[in-house]
Amino acid sequence: MTESGSPSRSEVLQGTLEMLTLKALTLQPMHGWGISIRLRQMSGDVFDVNQGSLYPALQRMLRRGLIRAYYADSENNRKARYYEITREGHRYLEAQMAEWEHSSRAVNRVLRFAPQGA
Amino acid sequence: MAWYHAVRTAFDAIVRRAREERQMDDEMRFHLEMEARRLMTENRMSEEEARLAAARSFGGVERYKDAVRDERGTSWLEDMVQDARFGFRTLRRKPGFTIIASLTLALGIGASTTLFGVVKAVLLTPLPYAKPEGIAVLWSAWKGFDQTWLSFDEYEGWKAGIPAFANVGLFSDGAVNLTQNGESERLRAGFIDRDILPILGVEPELGRGFTAEEDTPNGPSVILLGHDVWRRRFGGDPSVVGRAIEVNGRSRVVVGVMPAGFRLPLDFGASGPTLVWVPLGATAEQNGAIPGPAFQSGGGNHGFYAVARLRPGATVLQANRQLSDRVAQLRRDGIYPEEQQFRAFAVGVEDQVTGRLRPVLLVVFAAVGFVLLIACANVAGLLLVHGEQRRREMALRVALGAGGQRLTRQLLTETVVLTGLGAGLGVALAAAGVWLVRNTAPAALPRVAETRLDPLVLGFALAVGVLAALVAGLLPAFQARGVAPSMELRDGGRTATSGPGRLRWRQTLVAIEVALAVVLVIGAGLMIRSVANLFAIDAGIRPEGVLTLRLSTPAAWYPDSVRVSAFHEELRRRVSALPGVQAVGLVRILPLASEMGDWGLQVEGYTPPPNQGTPGDWQVVTPGYFEAMGLRLVQGRFFDDRDRMDAPPAMIINRRFAELYLAGRAPLGARVRIGGPDQNAPQYTIVGVVDNVRHNGLTREVKAQFYAPQPQFATNPGNTSRNMTLVVRASSDPQRLVAPVRAAIRGLDPRLPISEVRTMNEVVDQAIAAPRFAMELLGLFGVLALVLSAIGIFGIVAQVVASRTQEFGIRAALGATPRNLLMLSLGSGVRQAMAGLIVGVAAAVVLTRTMTTMLHGVTPTDPVTFSMVVALTALVAVGASLVPARRAARTDVAKVMAG
Repeated sequence: MTESGSPSRSEVLQGTLEMLTLKALTLQPMHGWGISIRLRQMSGDVFDVNQGSLYPALQRMLRRGLIRAYYADSENNRKARYYEITREGHRYLEAQMAEWEHSSRAVNRVLRFAPQGA
Repeated sequence: MAWYHAVRTAFDAIVRRAREERQMDDEMRFHLEMEARRLMTENRMSEEEARLAAARSFGGVERYKDAVRDERGTSWLEDMVQDARFGFRTLRRKPGFTIIASLTLALGIGASTTLFGVVKAVLLTPLPYAKPEGIAVLWSAWKGFDQTWLSFDEYEGWKAGIPAFANVGLFSDGAVNLTQNGESERLRAGFIDRDILPILGVEPELGRGFTAEEDTPNGPSVILLGHDVWRRRFGGDPSVVGRAIEVNGRSRVVVGVMPAGFRLPLDFGASGPTLVWVPLGATAEQNGAIPGPAFQSGGGNHGFYAVARLRPGATVLQANRQLSDRVAQLRRDGIYPEEQQFRAFAVGVEDQVTGRLRPVLLVVFAAVGFVLLIACANVAGLLLVHGEQRRREMALRVALGAGGQRLTRQLLTETVVLTGLGAGLGVALAAAGVWLVRNTAPAALPRVAETRLDPLVLGFALAVGVLAALVAGLLPAFQARGVAPSMELRDGGRTATSGPGRLRWRQTLVAIEVALAVVLVIGAGLMIRSVANLFAIDAGIRPEGVLTLRLSTPAAWYPDSVRVSAFHEELRRRVSALPGVQAVGLVRILPLASEMGDWGLQVEGYTPPPNQGTPGDWQVVTPGYFEAMGLRLVQGRFFDDRDRMDAPPAMIINRRFAELYLAGRAPLGARVRIGGPDQNAPQYTIVGVVDNVRHNGLTREVKAQFYAPQPQFATNPGNTSRNMTLVVRASSDPQRLVAPVRAAIRGLDPRLPISEVRTMNEVVDQAIAAPRFAMELLGLFGVLALVLSAIGIFGIVAQVVASRTQEFGIRAALGATPRNLLMLSLGSGVRQAMAGLIVGVAAAVVLTRTMTTMLHGVTPTDPVTFSMVVALTALVAVGASLVPARRAARTDVAKVMAG
């Protein structure tokens, strides 16, 4: 847990958070805390957002049918709310990733052309 | 798919709101605990440190909870639910306000919903015919008769010669005796030709209609039963179709059963619906007409109703144009004498049935709209005061971050809750109102008794409720938006006085209420005067204490007039022997109950102007009738036992007859022949003159009328009156005579059915049912309007007094007498009332014009009514102001100044 005001603590755009969450859920259903851990692992702690912001995003994706929630026993034998990705979610993730590839390639091209350190 | 999840999460959010909240809470706590545990094991933090760190990295539980709630996509709904709950709580804290406001709204909504139910039943529900807009009732008319029967020639002529008509059918009405299991019953019957049912587009629910063969004078004896008679007398047994039953002492085969609610086009009036139908079987020969399209001079006997089906695309207007062209031709051809002013016209069946009631209903409906508006204005006023008292609360909430939008919405929601209560109560009131209408509506008002509280009417109540919420709630809501916390809260503990602007709104509302009430009360006043005038009309009879009932002596049992007369004589003898009977007689048709036809007469010594006849309305009576009905003798004598069948024919005429045909001569002893120009027509001698009776209606012109004794008229000119009405004058309550009179009739001939048992007062009441209905409702609404306005005025004065208590205290300290203070606060209410009064009177001058056709003997701008209403309203305004104003007069200087 990095406590300093490091630049890595960027506010992640909603869409990105959703995409990463869905990506995380493609491995296995997870509860909220599990997702937040997985997000930090996946991004190498770069995307260490306020963990609370995950929950509105989950609620939004529930509403859009990208994920669904159910209750199950967690590691420490407590009931926890698990989320799993739906077919709808898979489709959405693929579309988003394609979009991301597309735009990030474009951004990269621009950045390469830009004079470094000007 | 997405919408499904959206709906589900929204549903969960609302219905399972508590569970959702708990789950969210659990989930976040779980997260924080897991995170803390991880920090304790991985980063070796103390429990305390770990918990703090977890919370920090989470970033504010409440903030994200709110964000999650927002993401449920239902925050507007949740806000509404919250507002509604809040509204309920607020209202529960102020039971007085809530009760008065919701009752006021309930009165407005209940009254308008009831009236809408009536309007729907009478004006909006189609008549029980196929395409009723293509059906017209046909009438003939001439001088002295605005709307009368057709002759057979006219029927044939219009059927063949009016292109706008696809078909024309004839019918008439009367009554038959139905005998079943030895029990006789007199039923109103329709005599219809074979085209009537196809023209109306109605088919029997069982069996069939009449065939051409049955619709002839000597065709097979058949009958169609009404649904109700079929159920009541035959237990709804379908096998009755094809069976013979006893009608008028003869056998008739039931060919079908008509559906429930079937009515002939003229069945919606006071005389009630026909219940069974037999073929008319009319021919030209029987009716003094020429077969085929040719016309007998004068058209022949007029005695039929007719109804036409318009050709597709044709209108009543076109039909009327074609009819008047055709009549003009007949007049040119000399078929109808020019002076007779013969006309023929068609009336759309809907106009025919409800045309008379429509203006009355629309005026009353408008009146109830006024009551509703007054109720809304009143509630708006109450909400304004309520808002006054809550300005500090509002200011506080604005200061704490509630948006203006949100406040407006919250106030509106409160109003909606209030109107919801009002609408609920209003529907209950409407249910009671509809029940009352159904059970008390005079039979003379067509279709009013069909009023029901159906989904459309309930929908109307809902719409009115929403409208009321908007009207009553918008003003207070907009006012609340002007709340500036700095201003309101700076005042310290003291309640802010009402600003002049806010008070002005309320005063305007009260002025509007008074104006509306004035219009209503003036309308009610005009109706009351008009109905009083109707009551004051001298009908020429004394209806109090008179019992009437209809009897008929069928030819099957009383084959000739001698037997009929003997029966009448014996009946009179037996009934007059009953205790409590002052006089008894029989009459052909009751005054004010139905219209009378006329005979052409020859009055000795009187020559009518060229081409004009000497018509006289004919009434057939037995001795005793004049005394029983209470007619006034002008000169000569009434009929008595001298006027037997073989005695010299005696006639009694009305005053109008004497004025028209015997001007300047002594009427007694004058001789009159009944019948056209024939020299052999039977001759009668006038033995008496009675005062005019307004037979055809209280406000209708009185025509020349003659009375002939039943036995004599039966032989000269030869018309046995088999359907007569027994008229009994009682020394006390006529209702008490019903049983003994029935017993007397049964003792004489148990087979005879009795029908239309009514007191003469009931008959008179029916004659003025429509204006009376309007008067009663307008009167009720007028009182409601006044009461509501009084409450409004009371409220405003109370508010003014309350807000100026300090000022009054100072004034009192400076020497103002209680009287000064009383006048000062009285003024604040009375001023508004005066403004409303002026506007109301001006509006009434314009609006009461719509009532012209409903008024009798009083102009729409009747100065007496106007000045009385002005005085009444002023009185109410002063009265309503007086109560709170007296509180001002008692202002306690010491208490006020100390406070």
